[in-house]
Amino acid sequence: MWLNNVVAGLTPGATYAIVGVLLTLMSQLTRVVNFAQVAVGMFGGYISLTLVTKMHLPIFVGVIGGILVAALLSALLGWIIATWLAEASTSARSAVTVAALLFLISLAFILFGYRNQPFPTLVAGPMFTLPGGAVVSKVTVLVIGLAIVITVGSWAFLKFTAFGVKLRAVSDRQMAAELLGINVKMLNVSVWSITGAIAGLTVALVGPTASNDYVTVSTLVIPGAAAALVGAFKRMDLALVGGLAIGAIQGLFSGFPNLLIVRDWVPIIFIILFLLWNQRKEVWDVAR
Amino acid sequence: MTLKLNDVTVSRGVGPVISNVTLEVTPGEVTTVVGPNGAGKTSLLESLSGVIGISGGSIELDGVDISKMSRRRRSHAGLAHVQQGRMIFPSLTVKENLQLTASTKADMDGALALFPELEKRLDSATVLLSGGEQQMVVLARAFAAKPKYLLLDEMSLGLAPVVFLRLIPIIEQIAKTGVGVLLVEQFAHLALKIASDSLVITSGHVSYHGPADALLKDPDLLKKAYLG
Amino acid sequence: MLRVRVASQEKWWLPLAIGGIAIVVGILIAVIVPADSLFRPTTILVASISLMGLGVVTGTAGMIALCQLSFAAVGAWIVEWLSVNDVWGNIFGNFSFVVYMLIAGVGTAVIGVIVGLPALRLRGVNLAVITLGIAAAFDLTLQKTSFPALVGGKHIARPFGLGSDFGGDRGIFIFAVVVTAAVAIGVTYLQHSRWGSSWKSVAFSERSTASAGTSVQFAKLTAFGVSAFLGGIAGALFDSQITQANYSSFSPLQSLGMYVLSAVVGSHLIDMALLGGILFVVIPWILQLLKVPLEWSTVVFGVLGIQALTTGSNLGTDIRNAFRKRRGKALVPVEVGIASSEAVAAVQIPRGTGKVLLEVTGLTVAFGAVKALTDVNISVEEGTILGLIGPNGAGKSTFVDALTGFLPQHGGTVTLDGISLDKLAPNRIARVGLRRTYQQDRVPPTLRVGAYVRFVSRGQSSPTEIAEILQFFACPVASTPLSLVDVGTRRLIEVAASIAAKPKVLLLDEPAAGLSHEEHIAFGDRLRQVPSRFGVTILLIEHDLDLVRSVCSSLTVLNFGEVLATGSQESVLSNPDVLKAYMGETELL
Repeated sequence: MWLNNVVAGLTPGATYAIVGVLLTLMSQLTRVVNFAQVAVGMFGGYISLTLVTKMHLPIFVGVIGGILVAALLSALLGWIIATWLAEASTSARSAVTVAALLFLISLAFILFGYRNQPFPTLVAGPMFTLPGGAVVSKVTVLVIGLAIVITVGSWAFLKFTAFGVKLRAVSDRQMAAELLGINVKMLNVSVWSITGAIAGLTVALVGPTASNDYVTVSTLVIPGAAAALVGAFKRMDLALVGGLAIGAIQGLFSGFPNLLIVRDWVPIIFIILFLLWNQRKEVWDVAR
Repeated sequence: MTLKLNDVTVSRGVGPVISNVTLEVTPGEVTTVVGPNGAGKTSLLESLSGVIGISGGSIELDGVDISKMSRRRRSHAGLAHVQQGRMIFPSLTVKENLQLTASTKADMDGALALFPELEKRLDSATVLLSGGEQQMVVLARAFAAKPKYLLLDEMSLGLAPVVFLRLIPIIEQIAKTGVGVLLVEQFAHLALKIASDSLVITSGHVSYHGPADALLKDPDLLKKAYLG
Repeated sequence: MLRVRVASQEKWWLPLAIGGIAIVVGILIAVIVPADSLFRPTTILVASISLMGLGVVTGTAGMIALCQLSFAAVGAWIVEWLSVNDVWGNIFGNFSFVVYMLIAGVGTAVIGVIVGLPALRLRGVNLAVITLGIAAAFDLTLQKTSFPALVGGKHIARPFGLGSDFGGDRGIFIFAVVVTAAVAIGVTYLQHSRWGSSWKSVAFSERSTASAGTSVQFAKLTAFGVSAFLGGIAGALFDSQITQANYSSFSPLQSLGMYVLSAVVGSHLIDMALLGGILFVVIPWILQLLKVPLEWSTVVFGVLGIQALTTGSNLGTDIRNAFRKRRGKALVPVEVGIASSEAVAAVQIPRGTGKVLLEVTGLTVAFGAVKALTDVNISVEEGTILGLIGPNGAGKSTFVDALTGFLPQHGGTVTLDGISLDKLAPNRIARVGLRRTYQQDRVPPTLRVGAYVRFVSRGQSSPTEIAEILQFFACPVASTPLSLVDVGTRRLIEVAASIAAKPKVLLLDEPAAGLSHEEHIAFGDRLRQVPSRFGVTILLIEHDLDLVRSVCSSLTVLNFGEVLATGSQESVLSNPDVLKAYMGETELL
């Protein structure tokens, strides 16, 4: 029984993990906590929905179109921030994405309407059954797989490609990188577009399983950010584990109807405590 | 073909930190700017590479006015700025640090030839190197970019004198390959020893401009320029 | 409109007067406007109060809090619970709602302080994420538990026995006007009090706040508490208007919207909070009249928000600047040169009383394996100026940090006039009488000169003394905004403020950097007089040897974290080791 609940929590957990990993990447490489991360992907998701249901294009064309739109939107937002807030603090840069989140949500309401529309299903059905009767669906396996692939892939990309080395250099010391002639703005915008595309892909996969109203999905950025906080916006591996753990804990608690309210508070309190411990030495705002 | 500062003034906050500096850096030679700390030497270099803007005068690189260019374009035009405080990329390995500027194998080998001791450190994270080795990485990285002009800011900062002594002949060697080196140092004697032209800056003003050996030969002149 | 600025002590009544006028205007509106049109104006006031709260925590204290409507929900919940159970109805009668509202405000403030606790270690965007997470969790809880009135299928009684009809709406509007005016007056006084100064200071620099003797924790938690109090009052007022709250009015998304709106208008200013409230209500209303989908208003807010947050500007500041320009009173940078002010009579380099005031023994600081300071012994004699010099990276600033409590792990002991400072926090050390200034600009530009000096001096100097000290250092007059003062002069103001705090010993960390050479000399002339004139002993870190020579009673040289030489000026400056440290190891050549 409880195992079933934990497994059920893994699909949302893996989604949190993907969002958490994307937010960690963004924070490390472009100095932004992107509150509009999922909203951009969701916008792409609605575009593919429109392409498929209204314009009767094949599903895969629609999905790819949606992913492209998500990448473009994200790149545009990144370009705005890289142009006008090139040397601003992380907080100032991130605050812009809060406004962008509101903008995207309301624009989606206008363009796509209020009613929840079913997403085209890419995968469905059970994958296998665990001993004890817990059923693991294909989507669960796929999303967890995607989370791992994104984490390992990003790590390998940053580690082994020349592009990745440049990104890490910019992340270490932006000014020194600029002085070496590295095009920081172009690198920034490409990270924005890539994470936007991955967000679009994730929504395309998870969309059919989640409640797909725009606000609910866009606010997945909150548990996603919680997962990223587990890795202090620095470590993708911890963000991955954090996301899965938050999902599993929520799933576990859903088995106890008396504890439903506690369930909603467990992740955030857990993360506050973890961060307080983790940042216990950060007594002052600046090093000197 | 020189790097030329015409009457450059740099302001931070409201007041100028550098006033009316005119200076020419010649390829193949070391030009040094010395002076007590806080005099504005670092601001001078930063205005050259574009870290901060200038509020008066102009900067020309081989006849082209670069004073309005972005940092990236100045770098492509042939400026390399080694900032104060060993600006390694800590999470990158030594090799990765060098790869950022070395576009060919030959560039890489050329840079490593300056500091053979880096060879066995190629795959360690730069953050784990000693201060001296980190400074070598930064210098090698700047050299691998094949700059026309190399700006060096306080290489001695936080290094034991012996380590700094090791770097001095390398700087000379780099200049001999045809690079114009502008060396900013608080420790005047070592810098003056390898420089041809020299500038003493105190409180943002040029208090001496002339041949380096004149300062070396006349310690009183230097002491006066430094301590007032 | 409550456009309040307390420029001087004499105008302390101004906010009260403007508040009073606002109430009269509000009542006139209530009489003229048809009662059935007063629902929206009430909502404007509710939103304004909520925005004023964000103006405190985010606009003034610089902490991004994304849960303002959760606070409003707490306030609404408390007031509903008290009303539905009619706890003290028989005691307070028609005034019971007012009592309930105050309790709701205080209760929410307590919650706000708890929510603010993570802010003591988490900053910037981490804190933003945490507060948004709290808003989201709170929203889920509200969805499940709902509000007391809704659960019981009741409506709460409106205050003063007002009915639920349009006539009641008129009464509620007047009530809201009075509450808003009271809140605005309170916020104005708070913004100009020590609390307000500490919020502005902590937004700019936590370290300098502590060095001014103020607890950073206290500043942050009061900002959260006041902000939550206002949120709670707004929620309670909202409930008196609608009489039955629903969770959907307080969603996290709306908290985000409030935050963006607050940033767009600059809601730390009272009139702009009111404008924000108007925009919050009027834009959707116009769209509704034009039969345009309501979401366009959020699109508009989103675009305005992106614009405001990328350019770092807000309507409030822009409007004020435009207004000043039209009146020909554009704000221009203040130019005061200490060098150009009148000459000061020649004063001898101070000689001490012979009593050791500050004693540092065996001070050792290590960062990991690197020793920044090794066994440093320094004693400062009362009434003198001790110069601490040394090349870059010698450990001078580390020395100041260790003495003032920012490196509690240091080895060795520090005593000030017999009191051990080793276990004290930075703000306690400042209060005991060891003050410091900073090498970097740490003077909050959002304050005015006078407010800053009052904040730093903590009531140790009378207004006349403060004016005298400011004049002595040729600082701009008290009403000058610090944002118009250049960095060099800001640091002079920092020195003047620290002296006004009348510490026993003042550590000056390169106070004259950013001043011209002539100003250096003029500054030195003033500094020499400080020990005798203000009774403050000084430890001066400086690299301009001209200045050091002209003011210091004795010198200590640091090199590679160790004391290289100490003694009189002549003996130290002629020491060959000192020359070497300054100009390089000549004999190595």
